[in-house]
Amino acid sequence: MKQNRTMVVIFLTPALLLFFAIFVYPIARTVMMSLFSVENVTSSVSEWTFTGFKNYADLAQTSLFRKSMWNIFRIWAVGGLVVMSLALLFAVILNSGIRFKKFFRAVIYLPNIISAVALATMWLQYVYAPRWGFLTDFFSWLGLEDLAATQWTAAGNKFWALTFAYCFGMVGYHMLIFSSGIEKIPHEFYEASSIDGASKPRQFTNITLPLLKGVVKTNITMWTITSVGFFVWSQLFSTVTTDLDTITPMVYLYLQVFSTGNTVMEREAGLGAAVGVTLGLLVVLVFVLTNLLIREDEIEY
Amino acid sequence: MSTAKREALYRSRQLNWRKEARLLPGYALLILWVIFTTILIGWVAAASLSTTRAIYRGEVFDFAKNGLNFGNYVKGWNSQNVSVFFMNSLGYASVSTVLLVLVAAPAAYVLSRFKFFLNHPIQNGFVVAMGVPVVMIILPLFAVVTQLQLLKQTYTIRLLMVVLYVGINVPYTTIFLLSFFSNLPRSYEEAAAIDGCPPMRTFWKIMLPLAQPGIVTVSIFNFINIWNEYFMSLIFANQDATRPVAVGLYSMINSMKYTGDWAGMFASVMILFMPTFILYLFLSEKIIAGVTGAGVKG
Repeated sequence: MKQNRTMVVIFLTPALLLFFAIFVYPIARTVMMSLFSVENVTSSVSEWTFTGFKNYADLAQTSLFRKSMWNIFRIWAVGGLVVMSLALLFAVILNSGIRFKKFFRAVIYLPNIISAVALATMWLQYVYAPRWGFLTDFFSWLGLEDLAATQWTAAGNKFWALTFAYCFGMVGYHMLIFSSGIEKIPHEFYEASSIDGASKPRQFTNITLPLLKGVVKTNITMWTITSVGFFVWSQLFSTVTTDLDTITPMVYLYLQVFSTGNTVMEREAGLGAAVGVTLGLLVVLVFVLTNLLIREDEIEY
Repeated sequence: MSTAKREALYRSRQLNWRKEARLLPGYALLILWVIFTTILIGWVAAASLSTTRAIYRGEVFDFAKNGLNFGNYVKGWNSQNVSVFFMNSLGYASVSTVLLVLVAAPAAYVLSRFKFFLNHPIQNGFVVAMGVPVVMIILPLFAVVTQLQLLKQTYTIRLLMVVLYVGINVPYTTIFLLSFFSNLPRSYEEAAAIDGCPPMRTFWKIMLPLAQPGIVTVSIFNFINIWNEYFMSLIFANQDATRPVAVGLYSMINSMKYTGDWAGMFASVMILFMPTFILYLFLSEKIIAGVTGAGVKG
């Protein structure tokens, strides 16, 4: 027994040390920092001045931050709807007894293993490119010269171009999660309902969807976590440093705290911490809300 | 196998045209998606072997006329530090991946096998950490690291990046391996104990090798994630000598856009894309298993 206790301690210590150094302490310090006025990120705690919720109030007044929140909300809501619909659709198709399931699944997931820098550049410099771009060629082939002449990454279109390209890369991951949920549903359910005369759409709404509740929750949570960290895509689609069309909270934080020599914003690292806490709380909020709204039935199979 | 069963199997292998016809819209959609993905990557791959002039003329696939210009890759690799970036990424990803197994596997094993009062709180802590966005931790990490003067020298930055990548991925890796160890029968340890093998030796000699499939899956997954990581390396690896390929190429792609070397730019994109793609070609089933595995329970 004694031997076991030593083993537990030795085996857990490295993981726990890292967990405290990388997660517990930084989270606590970020929360603290958001309540203080901190001139520089590197300022030591003794130089902080307590200001309560002033940073949050300031953030709420900052138009750049509000714009960034609006952008991330649209990416989360509209992009989320698109990604989840496509992911569910593909998952259902893949599990409908189709041939080459593994091949199709692998191709749909492929964009998820590509570095965001590479994937965003592919979209930006090929699909949306004005001269040799895929969309230009495609629409002129269809004879739709108006659409072919569209500047996809011009000011008015850029945000949706960005959202759409991002969604393309995200479908695969959520498709896999839906798919693993569907695979767990026993075949007998469908067979029995077929004998009772249920149509395919009926089976989808009355068997598949209700049994996917847990998976839907996972998907929404994961989508929220990745949305909150939206950064690289935005950077690649920006033409200037503070691009209102593409700014997201994480970009705002980066500009506020790490960008050297920008004169746009006052130096206040506490604001950056408040951005972090706000985003963290949003993840928690979405998690709690989905758990309240989607009640999972206790089913064992 | 009974005759009836064999007959059923035979019938299921046969093309059932009515069934296939009903699935036609599904096939159509999947094939469209596959075609688009192929064009997207195929065009960029072709452009990377083409010339800037051919890209402008819209004839990137006309290899007969323009030849295969591997020079784009050679030029990119030799100039502008790409080889340095590439080796950095390779170093960060492989060293962190190995260390992650050494840190997370023992923790996962202990958490899956022994009852002690902190067991469940630790597991829950790890699960929560998997959902913590980087923005919540980045500022204090930066403050501490600067105070410790770790961002001044190349080797301390390299060390720091590895520690950060290991730390960030410990919760996911531990939780993934935990469910893997739980599924291994206890009889192995019992047999080893009867033969007088101490528990720690049993872990390294017997249990760890048995968990190899799970370790391979989670390692490939970690490798790809670390290879593609961007934000932390942007902030911490702030010298050319320490930059990984994603951050290094971002600035390169930007500069090539202005110099107008489009073929070179697409070659750079391919250099960033290739390593994870090659891994995926051979190991896509394992990677997919990693996504749907322990990390995300429905």
